[in-house]
Amino acid sequence: MNEPITNLWSVPLLVMIPILTAIVVNLLYNKARAIRVISIGAAIAVLAISVVSPYGFHWFAGHPAVNADGTYTFTASVFSWKLSLEYYYGPLQQILIAVTSLLLLFVVVIATKSLSKNYGPYVAIVFLTYVSAAAVIMTNDFYNLWIAVELGSLLVAGLVASSGTGYAQKAALKYTFFSALAGSGLAISLGLILGITGYANITDAIHFLMTNDLGGMHAVLYVAFAFLALAWVYAGGLIPVHPLKSDVYRSAFPHATVLLQAQSKLMLVAIGIVLLRMFGALPFAREVMLSISVLTMIIGIVMALIQTDFRWTLAYIIVSHSGLVTVGLSLGTYKGIVGGLFQAVNDIIYMSILLLCCEMLLYFGKGTSIKFNGGIAKKSPWLAAFVILGTFAASGIPPFNGFQSELIIIQAALEQSLPEVAAVVLMVSISTFIALFRAVYSIFLKPGEDHPVRQSEAKRFEIPTTVFVFLSVLLAISFVLGVYPQLALGFLTESALKVVFVPWVP
Amino acid sequence: MGSIDSLYDRVKRYLTSFFAGEGSTDAITGYSSGELQMTVFFMVLAAMFRVFMIPLGIVLLLVATILIAYFAPIIRTVDRENSSDLNRVLFWVIIYFSIILAVTLWGR
Repeated sequence: MNEPITNLWSVPLLVMIPILTAIVVNLLYNKARAIRVISIGAAIAVLAISVVSPYGFHWFAGHPAVNADGTYTFTASVFSWKLSLEYYYGPLQQILIAVTSLLLLFVVVIATKSLSKNYGPYVAIVFLTYVSAAAVIMTNDFYNLWIAVELGSLLVAGLVASSGTGYAQKAALKYTFFSALAGSGLAISLGLILGITGYANITDAIHFLMTNDLGGMHAVLYVAFAFLALAWVYAGGLIPVHPLKSDVYRSAFPHATVLLQAQSKLMLVAIGIVLLRMFGALPFAREVMLSISVLTMIIGIVMALIQTDFRWTLAYIIVSHSGLVTVGLSLGTYKGIVGGLFQAVNDIIYMSILLLCCEMLLYFGKGTSIKFNGGIAKKSPWLAAFVILGTFAASGIPPFNGFQSELIIIQAALEQSLPEVAAVVLMVSISTFIALFRAVYSIFLKPGEDHPVRQSEAKRFEIPTTVFVFLSVLLAISFVLGVYPQLALGFLTESALKVVFVPWVP
Repeated sequence: MGSIDSLYDRVKRYLTSFFAGEGSTDAITGYSSGELQMTVFFMVLAAMFRVFMIPLGIVLLLVATILIAYFAPIIRTVDRENSSDLNRVLFWVIIYFSIILAVTLWGR
């Protein structure tokens, strides 16, 4: 499917359609019907483009494309005027953008149904958040990486603040404060790399580092790594920024958190891969990444265990499982990277199931507190079934997708002679089940406070048809990937091979 | 009452002392699991230093066990340090950044 395309038609469309949609729906402001039609149409369009698009490069201002063997499609004379701004659309980008596009469609449908005012700006922010996620995973240069991360962090704040509560606005403000720190960090990293190598393009910079001796300037590379790692930690919500990120996850509407957590995973994967490609050979670089990941996993899950609200529990589990994604990447081996990438795909899917169930609890007007709920299973057995199966998927119980990716990560850790990391992954998996099932039992399975007779007579909570369909689709994907993981692995292996063996190829 | 029983009692007493009312609640389940999780994690972390030197791993494992037994329950500290207070997060970010930089420069 690799076409000798130098300017792939689909790349600008994946970026420009959501941007144009954001502008239009913002102008339409409160015209609900028009906004709904346009936004759903745009979401379907980007989903279709991401699925049917061939693989290839898109250059801004004529950057030469890179072949699989690391050579360029253009002649050497072109090198003199290339501007280094480049997007790449490959199998990894395809699966991640397609899954995010599917979630965008679900989020847009729910948002345009559930909101009562300010449709336009809210839907515009939703689309722009999608753009930041799509751009970050496609880019092969530090300029676009920086822009996508900066844009992404501001939009996260916007999406959270839009939920309207004082708590959410506070969380958004705190997150924005740190965006200045992480954004500047990435900019400094970009500046240092540009200063040492002369290239902002990642492929070119790696080529330069491999073919030139930096001599005394080597230390600058370590500083660049540290700043880029800081941006990675911030964008993905890894420790020690996780309290701010979990605040963000739990303060936004759950349907918005579906998109936020997908965006975070794409940021983690994109920047994580850049860190591996660019700095993977530095001593201790992978160890630093692994330490951050393991700590995030543990602190995230421990904090999830002690929460008394389902939204908060989910927020910390998202943080913890972000660590699971980055553990795989940080191992740096072919199997580890495949496991990390697969975990990112799976995590986006099963957390979306749980978040949509959470959205339904709010829709029923019951709240998400563990303390003051109970008996929802009797009133909405389908929702109980979805949340229990979602819990199984998140806890790595077969036959769901979480099992497959966690198994690959555990195998990769064992192959690296790191049984301790494998043990921590297992601990997280088991604790995820405890944390989630604690909440599921209290909210869904524990008898409610109503009198038993009155409870059975009480009106049932009906899940809206659209949400029922979305939950069924996500659960079906989770099940299919659990039974037949090759469906997703086929998209991920090429990227993992490139990172390990030909890191200069995007 | 054997020694295991009394250790269990001690941990349980520590944990239940945070909560008024019943001894077993939703919260106590979470805090107990969290405490165990952290305990095991610190031990695993200490043992991981075997990668550099096996005796170092053994010594650190013993030290970690003693420290955990002395400072338990540690879950309250973890809970406190995880507040979203800006100053606290900024403090940890600076510490983290220093560690990343120091470790990678040391690796050189």
